[in-house]
Amino acid sequence: MATEQLQGKVEQLYDYVQERCLWQFFSRSWDRQENIDGVLNKAADMLVGREPKRETPTDKLHCADAKVMVMDFRERFPWIAQVSAQEVDELMEGLKGRLVDISITKSKNRELHDHLY
Amino acid sequence: MPMVLLNCDKDIPEREKHIYLKAPDEDTREFLPLSNAPTIPGTLSERGCAFCGAKLVIGGVLKDTIQMIHGPIGCAYDTWHTKRYPTDNGHFNMKYVWSTDMKENHIVFGGEKRLEKSIHEAFDEMPEIKRMIVYTTCPTALIGDDVKAVAKRVMAERPDVDIFTVECPGFSGVSQSKGHHVLNIGWINEKVGTLDAEITSPYTMNFIGDFNIQGDTQLLQTYWDRLGIQVISHFTGNGTYDDLRRMHQAQLNVVNCARSSGYIANELKKQYGIPRLDIDSWGFNYMAEGIRKICAFFGIEERGEQLIAEEYAKWKPQLDWYKERLKGTKMAIWTGGPRLWHWTKSVEDDLGVEVVAMSSKFGHEEDFEKVIARGREGTYYIDDGNELEFFEIIDLVKPDVIFTGPRVGELVKKLHIPYVNGHGYHNGPYMGFEGFVNLARDMYNAVHNPLKGLAGIDIRQPRSGAASNGKKEAA
Repeated sequence: MATEQLQGKVEQLYDYVQERCLWQFFSRSWDRQENIDGVLNKAADMLVGREPKRETPTDKLHCADAKVMVMDFRERFPWIAQVSAQEVDELMEGLKGRLVDISITKSKNRELHDHLY
Repeated sequence: MPMVLLNCDKDIPEREKHIYLKAPDEDTREFLPLSNAPTIPGTLSERGCAFCGAKLVIGGVLKDTIQMIHGPIGCAYDTWHTKRYPTDNGHFNMKYVWSTDMKENHIVFGGEKRLEKSIHEAFDEMPEIKRMIVYTTCPTALIGDDVKAVAKRVMAERPDVDIFTVECPGFSGVSQSKGHHVLNIGWINEKVGTLDAEITSPYTMNFIGDFNIQGDTQLLQTYWDRLGIQVISHFTGNGTYDDLRRMHQAQLNVVNCARSSGYIANELKKQYGIPRLDIDSWGFNYMAEGIRKICAFFGIEERGEQLIAEEYAKWKPQLDWYKERLKGTKMAIWTGGPRLWHWTKSVEDDLGVEVVAMSSKFGHEEDFEKVIARGREGTYYIDDGNELEFFEIIDLVKPDVIFTGPRVGELVKKLHIPYVNGHGYHNGPYMGFEGFVNLARDMYNAVHNPLKGLAGIDIRQPRSGAASNGKKEAA
C-alpha cells in the first residue's frame, strides 16, 4: 500500500477510535499503552482471520473491545475487507502510533504520569 | 482557535485557560482546558465541596447504611434530598439524615465524645441497621477529631456493626472530585475483601459509577438478569455496604462514571487483577455497544443480541418519533463532568441534537480529552463555568435547551430558555433504551412547551402582545 494511501486509511480508523473508544483515555499512561497495544493486536488477529488468544482476563477484555471495533470497521470502511495481512499490520501499527501520540506522548493531561491512582 | 477569554472575564484573565472553542483540524495535543484546578478568586463557582463528593454522590446512595455527618447541621441538610436515588427497600437513604450537630462548645472542647454518643444513639434508634459511614467536615477536621479511633471503640463495643470513616473535609480539594477520590481509595484499602459473596452465576461483574438516579440501576439490572450475569456489587446505586466489601470476587468491572469511580476500578485491577471495561449507559447506540462488549467478554454474544433486538423493537419507534421532532435542537450540557462526553454523541446520533456548549464543574483533563475527541467543532468546552460566563455563552450559541442542575436551571428559566435537570433528571431513569426515550421526552416537552413563550409576555402591557424576553420595558 502506498504511504499516502496508508496514511489516509489510518486517519479514517483514527477518527473512529477517537470518537468511539473510551479505552484510549484510561487514567494513566501505562493503562493507555496497555489498552492501545492490547486492543489493536486483537483487532489485527480478527481482521486477518486469526483466532486471538483469550487466556487471561485482560485478553478477554481486549478481545471484547476489539470485536465491537472490528465489527464497526467492517461496516463503516468496506475497503478493509480487501486489505492483505501485511497491510493490516501496517494499518494497526500506524493507528497505534497516532493514538500513542495524542493520548500519551503529546497529551496535556497533567495526571497521566502520576504513579498513584 | 486558541483558548477563549470571554468579555465578562476581562478582569480575571486566568479564566482563558479554562474555556476552549473547538475549530477544524485542532485536537487535544494543542488545546486542553485546565481543569481540576483551584477556582480562581473573582469567579462565582458552581462547584460543590470535597465532603459533598463523598457523601452526596457516592456514600449517601447506599440503602442500608447510616450516614453520620460529624459537623454542623448544615453539612447534613445540604447533602440530603438534593439528589434522587431511590432504593428497592423503601428509600431508607432518602428518608433520614444524621448529624452530630456540632456547636461552638464542641468545637472548643473537642467533638469525639459527641460523635461517639451520636453513633450509639443512631444504632439504638435503628436497631435493624448495622452499617455506618462517618464523615468528617471542615470544623471537625480542623480541630483534629480522631474519627477512626471513635469508630474502632464503637465497633469493639458493638461487634455486630461495621463502620467506615471518610476523612475529606470540604476544604481538602478543589471540588467534589476530591471526595470521590478519598472514598474510593479508602474503601478499596479498608473494606474490599472483607466479605465473600455467594456466587450464583458463571458470569459475575461489578457495575461501577451508577447511582440509581431515578431508577437507572434498577432498569439496567433487568438487562443483567435477562443475560444471566450476577452483579456482585453496584457501586453504589441501590447498593449495600456489605456487597461493596465483596467487589474482589467479580470477574469484570464495568464502569459507567469513570470520574467518580474510576479510582476503585483501577485499584481493583491493580490489587485483584479484575479488568476494567468502560461503557456509556446513556443512548441506544452506546447501550447496545456496552451490552455487546460485556457479552463478548463472557462469551454469551447471542444472549446480548437477543436482548438488544427486543429492546430496539420495543423502544426504537418511540425514540424515532422524538428524533423527528428534535432534529437540529441546540443543546447545552452544564453538569459535573462525565455526562458531557457520555451525552454529546449519543444525543447527536440518536436524536439529531447539536450540542453547542458544555461546562464541567469537577471534570479532570481526562474528561476534556474525551469530550473534545467526541464533541463538535464550533462548540464551547468550559471548566468550572460561572454565571456571567453562562450568560455570555448563551448569547453566543443560543441554545434551545440546557441540561443542568436546578440552581443554574432556575437562572436560565428567567431567560425563558428551558432547562432539564441533568443531574437528578426530570422524569427518569435516563439510562438504557427505555431511559433514553425518557430523556428524549423530557427534552421534547421542554423545547416545545407552550408555556415557555407565554411566560415571556409582559402582561403589564397587554397591547404590545410581544414577548419581551423577560426584560421590563421602561414605564
